[in-house]
Amino acid sequence: MKMMNCPLNGLRNISEFVHGGEVKEMPDPNSCSDDAWAEYVFYTENGISVVTEWWLHAPSGYWFIAERHTGSDEILKTYDPSVLFNKRVEFSAPVTEGMA
Amino acid sequence: MTSMIDNSMRLNAPMGLLLNRDNAVEFLFEGQRYQGYAGDCIASALLANDRWLMSRSFKYHRPRGPLTMAGQDANTLVQLGGDPNALADRTPIAPNMQIEGQNYNGTLDKDRDAMLGHFGRFMPVGFYYRSFFKPMGVWDKWEGVIREKAGLGRLDLNFEPEYYDKKYLFTDVMVVGSGPAGLSAALKAADGGAQVLLVEEMPLVGGALAYNRFDIEGIEADRLRAELIAKVEAHDKITVMVDTVCNAWFTDNYLPLIQGKRLFKVRAKECIIASGAYEQHVVFRNNDLPGVVMCSAATRMMKLYAIKPGQSAVVLTGNDDGYLTALELNDHGVNVKAVVDMREGAAPMDLIDALSKRGITLHQGYTVYEALAEKGNKRVKAVDVRKITAKGEVGNASRVIDCDLLCMSAGYMPAYQLLCQAGAQLSYADDLAEFTLSKLPEHLHIAGSVNGIHQLDSVMADGQRAAQLALNNLNLSDELPGKVSCSVKPNFDWPIFSHPKGKDFVDFDEDLQAKDIVNATRLGYRDVQLVKRFSTVGMGPSQGRHSALPTARLVANSTDRTVTETGVTTARPPFAPEKLAHIAGRIFDPYRRTPMHHRHLELGAKMIPAGNWRRPAFYGDPNERDACIHTESVHVRNKVGLIDVSTLGGIELKGPDAAEFMNRIYTFAFLKQPVGKTRYAVYTNEHGVVIDDGVACRIAEDHFYVTATTSGVDRVYRDMTKWNAQWRLDVDILNVTSAYCAVNLAGPDARKVLETLVTDTDLSPEGFPFLAYGEADVAGIPARLLRVGFVGELGYEIHVPSRYGEALWDLLMDAGKAFDIKPFGVETQRLLRLEKGHVIVSQDTDGMSHPGELSMTWAVNRKKPFFVGCRSVDIVMAQPQTRKLVGFVLPAESKKPEEGHLVLEGDAITGNVTSCEYSPALKQIVGLAFAGINSSQPGDHIYIRVDGQLVEAEVVNLPFYDPDNLRQEM
Amino acid sequence: MPFSLLKYGLNKDYPFEQHADLPKPTELKPHYDVVIIGGGGHGVATAYYLAKYHGITNVAILEKSYLGGGNTARNTAVIRSNYLTSEGVKFYSESVKLFKELSNEFDFNIMYSQRGQLTLAHTDAAVRGFRQRAEVNKHFGGKTELIDPQQIRELVPTLNMNPADMPVLAGLWHMDGATARHDAVAWGYAKGATQRGVELHQLTEVTDVIVEQGKVTGVKTNRGNVSCGCVVQAVAGHSSLLAAKAGFKMPITTFPLQAMVTQPVKPFLDPLVSSPSLHCYVQQTGRGELVFGGGSDPYPLYSTRSTMDLKESLLANAVELFPFMANMRLMRQWAGLTDMTSDYSPIMGLSPVDNYYLDAGWGTWGFKSTPICGKSMAELVASGGKVPELIKPFSMDRFNSFRQVNEMGATAASH
Repeated sequence: MKMMNCPLNGLRNISEFVHGGEVKEMPDPNSCSDDAWAEYVFYTENGISVVTEWWLHAPSGYWFIAERHTGSDEILKTYDPSVLFNKRVEFSAPVTEGMA
Repeated sequence: MTSMIDNSMRLNAPMGLLLNRDNAVEFLFEGQRYQGYAGDCIASALLANDRWLMSRSFKYHRPRGPLTMAGQDANTLVQLGGDPNALADRTPIAPNMQIEGQNYNGTLDKDRDAMLGHFGRFMPVGFYYRSFFKPMGVWDKWEGVIREKAGLGRLDLNFEPEYYDKKYLFTDVMVVGSGPAGLSAALKAADGGAQVLLVEEMPLVGGALAYNRFDIEGIEADRLRAELIAKVEAHDKITVMVDTVCNAWFTDNYLPLIQGKRLFKVRAKECIIASGAYEQHVVFRNNDLPGVVMCSAATRMMKLYAIKPGQSAVVLTGNDDGYLTALELNDHGVNVKAVVDMREGAAPMDLIDALSKRGITLHQGYTVYEALAEKGNKRVKAVDVRKITAKGEVGNASRVIDCDLLCMSAGYMPAYQLLCQAGAQLSYADDLAEFTLSKLPEHLHIAGSVNGIHQLDSVMADGQRAAQLALNNLNLSDELPGKVSCSVKPNFDWPIFSHPKGKDFVDFDEDLQAKDIVNATRLGYRDVQLVKRFSTVGMGPSQGRHSALPTARLVANSTDRTVTETGVTTARPPFAPEKLAHIAGRIFDPYRRTPMHHRHLELGAKMIPAGNWRRPAFYGDPNERDACIHTESVHVRNKVGLIDVSTLGGIELKGPDAAEFMNRIYTFAFLKQPVGKTRYAVYTNEHGVVIDDGVACRIAEDHFYVTATTSGVDRVYRDMTKWNAQWRLDVDILNVTSAYCAVNLAGPDARKVLETLVTDTDLSPEGFPFLAYGEADVAGIPARLLRVGFVGELGYEIHVPSRYGEALWDLLMDAGKAFDIKPFGVETQRLLRLEKGHVIVSQDTDGMSHPGELSMTWAVNRKKPFFVGCRSVDIVMAQPQTRKLVGFVLPAESKKPEEGHLVLEGDAITGNVTSCEYSPALKQIVGLAFAGINSSQPGDHIYIRVDGQLVEAEVVNLPFYDPDNLRQEM
Repeated sequence: MPFSLLKYGLNKDYPFEQHADLPKPTELKPHYDVVIIGGGGHGVATAYYLAKYHGITNVAILEKSYLGGGNTARNTAVIRSNYLTSEGVKFYSESVKLFKELSNEFDFNIMYSQRGQLTLAHTDAAVRGFRQRAEVNKHFGGKTELIDPQQIRELVPTLNMNPADMPVLAGLWHMDGATARHDAVAWGYAKGATQRGVELHQLTEVTDVIVEQGKVTGVKTNRGNVSCGCVVQAVAGHSSLLAAKAGFKMPITTFPLQAMVTQPVKPFLDPLVSSPSLHCYVQQTGRGELVFGGGSDPYPLYSTRSTMDLKESLLANAVELFPFMANMRLMRQWAGLTDMTSDYSPIMGLSPVDNYYLDAGWGTWGFKSTPICGKSMAELVASGGKVPELIKPFSMDRFNSFRQVNEMGATAASH
């Protein structure tokens, strides 16, 4: 079985991990176009290349980031998400009147 | 019954390395009693009694006998009771074992279907595709006839699985194969300080050293084998496993080993494959007759099983090894009539001298053009030897030599399977006429004849070279590995002599002849993969071990490409056929039990699965489902009931940003939720689809406890933690589902029951009103109380640490006695909530349901900046709505719709029933259904098709029961 | 013995040139009216129907490997139409109808075998979903029933009714369920298409798509460039990669899907049996082998390697369903690449590039749609981009308007 290096727990069997999708930047949900939002929600690069992805070590409930090649399945590195997400995210108020 | 106790074909010791001659074993083959020795395989024990016909071939029902004696072919598949397709040349005999041949009509010796062989010309390659379908419909009849002939063995459909298990192993270096390469690799690696696991498929260590002859005198193999084994046995860093097959290579050297009834899953830091090579057959007419064997099969028969393989033999070879086989046969009393060497003048003088000293005739530049058979094709009786005039062609002059054994060696094919599974590349070296392997992944090494090294001393050096690479990777050494090369060319370029009458088999498993392969290409199937798929070459049980090489050559030749361009078909796991039992192992079926689980069983609950949990559906006679649910529901409505809701998910959120976090996850507003209150929480995913709901309790300003559905909690928890890995809010999130258990105490008397146990909390309607949250002491148990109304009656969800679960249940049941408390199950709860119009996410919603069509917009706050599905909800809500979840009613006597029945408008399907029950409280049928938007208002009518009949139901306001919510708020 | 076999057998020189199913390789022409990228079942079916019904024969099928070597070769050959949505059932029902005629249409036996498909419900939720599917199917004329455990026992007497402690509560019995020789479907279409003048170019890889002013005008290949009037992309498992060459993204993620096969034994199992709860699907082929399939792999990957984990869980469940299968021997496991969409429905129709048509997103359910997809795509191409009603719901822009066609529940582990 493939092995993965969890930044918190070390080298473990891949079966302990859950794939969480590509790391994607969310457009501002309150100001972007419908198409931009649909693209964020549904569309993917899905190429053969190194991708930056979310992975969860399920037994410890720990999310981290992995850089993995989608052709060879080689995992180049794994690290704590604070490397990419290091400050508190805020959302702006909706620009239009939504439903109450 | 007469007993065949013959053993006339046995040689004397020391032949028969595997045999224990003190232990005779009797067994039955085709109803006939035979005797062999402990250590015999089925095939050797039968050969000892001069029985060669063991099986019938797949298509033509040709008689077949041993070919490799090593489990590499499908010629001796037999039926062991209910166990089909067992390898007779690998399966040891056991006392009173009952063995049958396979795939015959009548008896193995007299197979009525053997006449199919005469019709071979009417069954050209791919004939199924060309026939049996005209006129239209006729295939339906032919299919049955053909299906009848399909398959090999018979499966015992009453077979009870036996005990198989699994074990994990870890090692520094694993060596696959214990021939000279594997043994020297293991020794070198262990000497270098690595822990070594040496795996051997056969019951004894030594590989080719155990059966092949390497020198004219015939002494080197035994000497070397003894020396190496002594060293290995003395080495405390080497573990040897024999009778063990490494059956695949999986990523990161994860290697499954099968030994007996156990599957070992090995994690090896380094792996050395020294799996050897498969001796290849020569393609000529009748090359499948019993008595036509690989050279190595003959030597295995002699050395391993003390079988004299025949009285008079011919050896057909394309290399020097055939000469040594001839010497070995001669040494053991077989009259070797001739050695037929397909090469011209390639053999070394010392081998030629050795033959002539023993009076063995040598024909160089000749081949066997056809093997001649005894009646019924049951054994070879002579061979037609002819001069090779050109590639694949022979002269007309024929020389017939009588023999009952023909040994052949056209060369070798590396046992490439494990390596190709690991991504290694197989390419054909034209000068060597041999496939070689390259591009191995890191931490995987190759040594010996699988690496194209065929001389004994080079093979040993190659094992050491591979071990050196492994040691370097392990940081145990940094020496440069030596270079190893090989000057021997054991492969004959074109050992294919097609015969106009055919039966010149390329693939024995599938009865495919040389012309079948060529014709496949002529019909347009030029790619070797298409040839395989069209002709089925290589698809049989031996998976191309012998057919891959001649097929590649034939296809290359007939499509004007090189053999490398042509290639072979992909090697896939497993290496050798493996029983499903090995892979399935013992049944590991994890389940979860609530702390009150056994109380439910004691109370006679009918349990049903809920994910890994089991929950009471209702209590009472399983055959009286409706009556039990009816009684329980009425009881909750009129008195008091208790239900175990421990399987509900529980998530704890604590920290200064807990409220902000809740506000971003769930659709409702949570910033201003008062401490001590609960609030309905709906979760939409990023698509805007409702995927979970629960109740959020604000325990403190910075502390929430939120429930989730049984099946949804893991998903919700994962989503929460993932979101916060991005948002970086100051909140701790914990899934406490297992830490807490819970019950719902519901019914008009619920308060009275609870009041007997709770003294520290005012439970009056004013002191602890509807939607209140509080912490209370329930007769000494610290509890979280939620006044919620899922079933529509006065009720309390009581959440306590799991260790108190059983005590809580007992206390409540005990205290409730005075009020006639009764437990109720999850199906009753479903009825009660339906009467109350509450939606169950996933039952009343589907993968497209957004809050709008579920009438949940009251629980969606769009004034706040964000919640997970907000933008998608906005987008779908802005579009014209097509359907809506509505409540409907029908008179009690009406045909009752079932969940899943369709709502129709004319011919169009506009929705479906999601929940429907007869309501004892309302004395009518009530249900929820998706309806077209035009018939979704109270007073509208919807049409539901129930068992083919349209039923007209009225859309009504929800809830059906107690519309003013007086009962749950009392 | 059928006459046709006598004919071949008595002819010493068989096969003649005219018996060939597929023509010998030829050079690429500089221009084609239609370039179909992908020589799998879908691509060759599209070419076949273009030639047969629309008289369009200046068509090249460009296949980077060999005919039908992708998912056509790797799927477990399930043909069924017991889906959940009206759109899905209508579409797949048409496919089943076409499949039944193919052998005679091709003069090539695809060994269509209607055995019926039985899907097992182990939970109340599954029973509800199955009832809905049976109702939707019947509504559109399909033969599908929700059946009870006693009926299941009669259909498949060898089935364990309490596998993995998950009692079988009901079954979805889809009498139209069938199987066929999957390779033969591609070969038959290729034979019919090439006999009508379509060119099949194997070992011809499209390396780039030429788009000028928002319109496709040609493709670059390892054998040179060709110009064309329009392009059909039918490259299951590689859809996003090709779309990227044409300059757009797709709502697709690619996952491996594994399957495995045992040695042949004498036939004992007629229907195709699947259990979504146990992620296990099994059928016995005409050769007597058992074919097993399960769910897709748990994370995206463009590699067809096999894994031990999937094999262990799949076969453990298979042995739960049919305990005596413990004695069967597994011979081979393999994998294909599946393009998954979020609603488990395919993508057919227009793309952001003019004259560039999409046939993609076939996940684990592409084989069964081969005839109707090919027929619809041919209609789309022949009409110059007018999307046929039958495939309108499956346009890619449904994702932009959040109008998905949800088949998730009707797809898991049933393929």
